[in-house]
Amino acid sequence: MRFRIEVVRPERCIGCYSCVYACSRHLFNTVDPSRTAVFLRTEGSLANPFMPVTCRFCKTPECAEACPKDALQPLPEGGIMLITSRCEGCETFDCITACAIRALALDKKTKFPVICDKCGDCAKYCPHNVFKYEEMK
Amino acid sequence: MNSILYVDLTERSSKVIERPDLFSKYLGGPGVASKLIIEETKPGTDPFSPESPIIFAAGYLVGIFPCMVKTVAMFKSPLTKNLGESYSGGHLASALRFAGYDVLVVHGASENPVMIKIVDDDVKVERADSLWGLSPLDVEKTLREHYEGIQSVISCGRAGERLIYYGNVIVDRFHHFGRLGLGAIFGSKKLKAISINGTGEIPLEDPLAVKEMYKKLYDEVVNSENMLKYHNLGTSANVLELNERGALPSRNFKESRFRGAERISGEAMAESSLERKISCPGCPVACIHLAELKTGFAPEHEKGRKEIFSEKVLVPYNYEPMYALGSNLLINEPSHLLRLIYRCECLGLDAMMVGTVLAWVTEAFEEGIINLDDTLGIEPRWSDVGAYLQIIDNMVDLKNPFYTKLAQGLDVASEKYGGEEFAMIVGRNGLAGYATGYGTIAGQLVGARHSHLSNSGYSIDQMALNQPIGPEQIAKFLINQEDWLYVLYSLGTCYFARKIYTKEVVCEVLKIMGIDQTPEGLMQLGKEIFHNLYKFKIQEGFELTDQKIPGRVYSMQTPHKKLDAEKMQSIIKFYIHKRESEGLQLRPEEKALKELLSFEG
Repeated sequence: MRFRIEVVRPERCIGCYSCVYACSRHLFNTVDPSRTAVFLRTEGSLANPFMPVTCRFCKTPECAEACPKDALQPLPEGGIMLITSRCEGCETFDCITACAIRALALDKKTKFPVICDKCGDCAKYCPHNVFKYEEMK
Repeated sequence: MNSILYVDLTERSSKVIERPDLFSKYLGGPGVASKLIIEETKPGTDPFSPESPIIFAAGYLVGIFPCMVKTVAMFKSPLTKNLGESYSGGHLASALRFAGYDVLVVHGASENPVMIKIVDDDVKVERADSLWGLSPLDVEKTLREHYEGIQSVISCGRAGERLIYYGNVIVDRFHHFGRLGLGAIFGSKKLKAISINGTGEIPLEDPLAVKEMYKKLYDEVVNSENMLKYHNLGTSANVLELNERGALPSRNFKESRFRGAERISGEAMAESSLERKISCPGCPVACIHLAELKTGFAPEHEKGRKEIFSEKVLVPYNYEPMYALGSNLLINEPSHLLRLIYRCECLGLDAMMVGTVLAWVTEAFEEGIINLDDTLGIEPRWSDVGAYLQIIDNMVDLKNPFYTKLAQGLDVASEKYGGEEFAMIVGRNGLAGYATGYGTIAGQLVGARHSHLSNSGYSIDQMALNQPIGPEQIAKFLINQEDWLYVLYSLGTCYFARKIYTKEVVCEVLKIMGIDQTPEGLMQLGKEIFHNLYKFKIQEGFELTDQKIPGRVYSMQTPHKKLDAEKMQSIIKFYIHKRESEGLQLRPEEKALKELLSFEG
């Protein structure tokens, strides 16, 4: 079964970082707010609303197009798959900067981009249903 | 981990020291800080001297389990002249831990305004002349950036810069190191702000066990009734609850019910002003309630139409400022309450202490012990928000000798002008908003930081309504609470999560972290932390037996009727007796001996 995650109600976000921590625990077995595929952003002061960001699972992903080594393969259902043997962890950050909402980050330890594996933990650990996690039709 | 980052403002230098000895025994937070404050402070240090340290210690489990969010700040308090101990949530504890430190110690002082900027292992002391004089809210706007990881910005306001004894430090816009004057310590060091950005990891030894336990605790936090109150109305629900019980202080504790309670209740605020709720990183509760305060543009811009609200600000509110700047001052208009809170926020003042001071000023004026010459022509009257705002400003500006005394606390002001009877302080700190009975007063008197959160004394007053509880039981309750809360605070646990983290749960959680502990062992640890803190208090001249309780306490109405001074003394005596039987010497020896002879235990 194929699943998809979407940020549907960002205005509900309370800034608890439960999604970020859950993602980091799931993907890397650690707690690290910068090793994650879900991001919590604010603009300027914390008086401004939070903006949770995840991969948008684009049909024609710009990150994949930007990769000079074709390490990011577009998936038929949207989103990307990483072919680690091709990724050189290049420091030009082409894939990272290609994403307009900056939903991709380079993992500082593995030097690979962190790819959402659609586990749904961010949605599971959100107390206010900011995310929608559903099976793709 | 186990790392302490030392920053010296005089030398503009920093170093990191590993102290596994401290962390393995005392975990973190106040446990570790209780040792460091003694190590780092020469006895008798002037709070405002460069030698006076500030210690920020994050809890041991911050980032790892839900609701572990707290940092303690320890310092020498200008207000109490002994232990400064203050807790804050917000992003600080997580940012510090993700930057790779458990504790930050600040030493020295700068001649020019400076800020400390930390991005992981990059630590800088930078000039901050242009930030000096800005409100902490503007500092936060200025310094917050689009960093990776978690960033925390903390700053003092003009109150701290002017060394007001209860100037506070505002943490991430909506949280506070309140009460005992940390802002003034920042001011004395010319330290305007600290920004910490942490992008590293908190390594887990047994990630699978952490995940499993996290899920269990998260479900409990989110789905049980245990923390629901804090999310729904927050502690502001107390306004009506306490008013119904006749325990809501009003008119400087002369009354225990307030006719305007409904208008400034949590329910009314939620209806009229609540805009958002936010959380600390790692806590799914969102107990921080933010109200929208709307004000009009200046009349000249509106051509006389006053009803066009154009300026909006977010103001955090919870029960304590609602009592201190609301019911206790007979403020019954939500927007007036919010304006008073907001003024405290902008200046970086402890809202509770400001309320205590304003209530005393109003009564002192009524009683004729201060006059218009003292107040520079302002007539302080109950519920007069305009007068109160002017008094706050004059105090921060140290406008004349009267306002300068106010800025040093009510012990100083009432010593000069009189009115000790209704200066509602114990241990020099303003009383919290609970006219509930003996437990709350005794608890704040004996607590190491003279706070209602030292030992939850107000909660035994509630229990005592249903069954008779004697002085000895009250003293025992306070001690048990105190000891246990120091364990929770050392882990970084939010006070609101105390029902989630029972002794058994804490033992389970620590086991996952590789620490074998028993409930009894933990209580012993909590006791030791308390003893350490009291030793510091005593070293700095604090004597429990010398502490005065204002006369008003014995004339105020409580659900237990009027309080009896002898019973109160009896609770304190039992308390001292029990603490001394644990080996904590609370009094000079000859005094103790004399007391013991007359002690009827």
